[in-house]
Amino acid sequence: MSSFLQQCFNGLVSGGFYALLALGLAVIFGMLGVVNFAHGAFFMLGAFGAYIALAEWGVPFWAALFVVPALLFIFGAVLERTLIRRLVPFDPLYNFLLTFGLTLVLQDLVKREYGVQSQPYPRPAELSGSLDLGLFDYPAYQVFVLATAVVLCVAVWLVLTRTRVGMVVRAATERAELTRALGIDVGRWVTPVFAFGVALAGLAGVLAAPMRAVNPLMGADLIIAVFAVVVIGGLGSVFGSVLAGFGIGVAQSLGNLYVPALSQTLIFIIMAVVLLWRPAGLFGREEART
Amino acid sequence: MIRMFLRHTEPAGRRSLRYPLLAAGLLLALALPWLIYPPVAMDIACWALFAAAVDLLLGYTGLLSFGHAAFWGSSAYAAGLIAIHSGLPFPVAVLGGAVLAAVLAVPIGYLCVRNSGIYFAMVTLAFAQMVYFVANQWRAVTGGENGLQGIPRELFGLDLSDPFVFYYAGLPIVLLGLWVLWRIVHSPFGHVLVAIRDNSARARAIGYPVERYKLLAFVLSAALSGLAGGLFAISHGFASLQEVNWTTSGKAVMMVVLGGIGTLWGSTLGAALVVQLEDYLSTSGFDGIGIVTGTVFVLVVLLFRQGLWGAARQLGAAADRALRRSRRPPPPPPAGPEPAEPIPTSSTTAR
Amino acid sequence: MRTTIRALTAVLTTGTLLAAGCSRGGPSGGGDDKVSGDKIVLAVLNDQSGVYADLSGRNSVEAVRMAVADFQAKYGDRAVTKNIEVVTADHQNKPDIANSKAQELYDRQQADIILDVPTSSAALAVANVAKAKKKLYFNIGAATTELTGKQCNKYTFHYAYDTFMLANGTGTAVTKEGSKNWYIVYPDYAFGQDMEKSFSAAISAAGGTVLAKDPTPFPNDNFSTFLLKAPAMKPKPDVLGTMQAGGDLVNLVKQYNEFKLREQGIKLSVGLMFITDIHSLGPDAFAGTTFTDAWYWNFDDRNRQWADRFMAKTQTRPSFAHSANYSAAMQYLEAVQRAGTDASDAVVGKLEGYSYDDVFARNATIRAEDHRVVHDVYLAEVKPKSEVKTDWDYEKILRTIPAAEAFRPASAGGCSL
Repeated sequence: MSSFLQQCFNGLVSGGFYALLALGLAVIFGMLGVVNFAHGAFFMLGAFGAYIALAEWGVPFWAALFVVPALLFIFGAVLERTLIRRLVPFDPLYNFLLTFGLTLVLQDLVKREYGVQSQPYPRPAELSGSLDLGLFDYPAYQVFVLATAVVLCVAVWLVLTRTRVGMVVRAATERAELTRALGIDVGRWVTPVFAFGVALAGLAGVLAAPMRAVNPLMGADLIIAVFAVVVIGGLGSVFGSVLAGFGIGVAQSLGNLYVPALSQTLIFIIMAVVLLWRPAGLFGREEART
Repeated sequence: MIRMFLRHTEPAGRRSLRYPLLAAGLLLALALPWLIYPPVAMDIACWALFAAAVDLLLGYTGLLSFGHAAFWGSSAYAAGLIAIHSGLPFPVAVLGGAVLAAVLAVPIGYLCVRNSGIYFAMVTLAFAQMVYFVANQWRAVTGGENGLQGIPRELFGLDLSDPFVFYYAGLPIVLLGLWVLWRIVHSPFGHVLVAIRDNSARARAIGYPVERYKLLAFVLSAALSGLAGGLFAISHGFASLQEVNWTTSGKAVMMVVLGGIGTLWGSTLGAALVVQLEDYLSTSGFDGIGIVTGTVFVLVVLLFRQGLWGAARQLGAAADRALRRSRRPPPPPPAGPEPAEPIPTSSTTAR
Repeated sequence: MRTTIRALTAVLTTGTLLAAGCSRGGPSGGGDDKVSGDKIVLAVLNDQSGVYADLSGRNSVEAVRMAVADFQAKYGDRAVTKNIEVVTADHQNKPDIANSKAQELYDRQQADIILDVPTSSAALAVANVAKAKKKLYFNIGAATTELTGKQCNKYTFHYAYDTFMLANGTGTAVTKEGSKNWYIVYPDYAFGQDMEKSFSAAISAAGGTVLAKDPTPFPNDNFSTFLLKAPAMKPKPDVLGTMQAGGDLVNLVKQYNEFKLREQGIKLSVGLMFITDIHSLGPDAFAGTTFTDAWYWNFDDRNRQWADRFMAKTQTRPSFAHSANYSAAMQYLEAVQRAGTDASDAVVGKLEGYSYDDVFARNATIRAEDHRVVHDVYLAEVKPKSEVKTDWDYEKILRTIPAAEAFRPASAGGCSL
């Protein structure tokens, strides 16, 4: 039993990454209607940012956790202002393709500079032991990652539901024209929200650096799964994405255990089943579907 | 329903240009292996048909499929297996592959067309990943990661080993596929698809069974993708997991976007361009294929949403205006209508 | 006006690009002299932009150029021809590009031999092209035993390593040293499946037991499920055998260290590892890991000298793929020299059954039955960082596995030449 729980815990940790990335994607989609294919590349940039910060300037992990997402926030804002907003008036396909092109460029730029091989990034010394969680021991760093993911998701949830900013963002997400008609300047929140989504992806990348291989393609493999997670949760729903993220993490972990041959397509089978049952995803809204 | 395909509607565009353009295209297709390395020429032909089939869904029905590699690839494997095990002439094998792709598309399409927009793309991707998984696991049949090797080219005992000769043997299949697409697009059925693309709620209100039309378009698109994929496998002599990989679907979409969504000529042009680009980058020694491809994508999407074919048409229209202005001095001609956005943003599409 | 200018630029660029690709058409021709076209062309077809770019890639082209230079220095005026060219193409890990490029290299660039070609599907596709064109092909980068098995042909030679050699070396040696209980984890595709089969066979033959063998998704970045399963198994495995390669391997090892499996008594054995993988994580992450290496640069003086020359040209230490490319090119040229012509059949005749000893391949023979090049391989262990005295000196060679033992017997492959 304790090994089953351990595997579930495993799943929650990897689900944490899915949840963070799906959260960013959902927020960006909700606010801008943009399906951000480059989200995986931003995740990779976060991890590489942490590596470069350490290798070039000796910036330790704890500082990188704040510095790198801040830099990516600025990068995201610039990107939105210069490129993304030009295509928002048109069919979402165009922005999807734009972000796809961006992914290729970003990945290749990193590849040219650092090669395809993985870069070393050590775990922070303070977290290199194991924690006794009662039923089982678990690497401390992974517990930290899970805790951070949960805290961040809860924080975003609180901001969205309890603050004025969050209220505006939610209103703009669900009823943009009506919100504007009521006199609220939706436009000024678009750039910060997009930049926030990018920063969140970067933060996930920094968290991943000590426990995953840091190479230019680390985001590419992840992004398809994250898309599936967001679709399962429901494209318009922040809560759905987070829940689906953690849920899929656990499902994959258990899938690896019981049906390893199938585990690669498990997420797609789940997605197909969910969409057959609820075409807008678990918590999506019907109108967001067309 | 059959009548919807048989009646021929007048294609858009200027009559006087249409037939010369078709003739020029045919001539180019016949001359291609003289200009370009023959195996690459065959690749261009196969991809052109595939891209055009994807365009039928994307440009004319408004459905972005990110899983068409499932049809291209499963047909590649099927055609390969038929060719290896039965010794039938290769067009039969290719047709067999197309039939399999069409059969596969019925259940997949049925489940997918209930969605649209990005959901449609994701569901098609999901099913394509499942097909990939089956191809990878069913190693006895597909060879798994090693691929299905040693596919022969059989045609009544003729020696087709020279790719130059094989191009001419395979070209009729591609031309047939493109002709079928052309007829579909310029038929009442095709017009209904466009109506569905522009405003599916309105089409439904008028009384068209929208899902059935979408499903039919999906199956036709899959069958033609299969035709292209089967020929591709015979041409290369093998079928590999690359054929069912999602990046292959993405490549087809890229060709359509580059060439011009909603124009069959555009897909052909886009296919030629992407294949040439890939080929060129392979030997150029330039260390940055992704940078080039990605930048091209970004530029096209930002600046040339009509695609290159659309850009060419714009040039043609501009030249035409200039010509007319020089012939008849006053009055200043009214500003010609700007080509419409290839995919209209109606109020029902996702923001 | 602006849109017209944009449109014009687009159309012109497209036109130029399309036209640039032209003039390579036309039906293929033939021709034969003593040395075809009066020159020998060696073509390196490999991955120069994807996952194999670092362990082989462009540096392998450099290695081949070194071989050409050495050959010319050795024979001077006695060489069959002084006109030797090296060309290359990037197959981007796509078998259809590999297929087209191989044909083009043989036809248009008059390549007499193609070298390298990683990725099994590409490797097999090129083997078929070589057979059709009747030109030589030395595969170095791919691991599939099919090249010397059911898909063997007269013009294809498998040079450096394959799944059997990797499994047999490590599996047998580690089991015999006392680690009897294995838990095997492998990526669920042809390479992983082949490795698992070979490892299981070798382990059983050496008296060990495979407690469990789990396929993992490929690619995959999260191995926690499997790593957590290992210590809980009864009996506990002595060693975790992993068939992951590249980025997956790095992920697995990082997490192996996280879960402190080594401290729990579960050693790590890797199916396929390149020195560049060790470099990615640093030796401490891999310390104590055993694997079979086809060649190691710091093994003896001869290797070191070559590695120094390589470093002068490329600023990095060579992996076994680099030196295998050098050796393959050299042996090809020597065979041409012996045959007096670069006509494929004659050269094949001089290669089959030939025994030699060069910097990469020690005690080597090119088997006539299946065109498998057998040579000594090495059981290696990764040093901890404290023992690493110079850059890239990560491996400790535990023992040499002689050529006769290392590779699959010719009769077992199913090749009929």
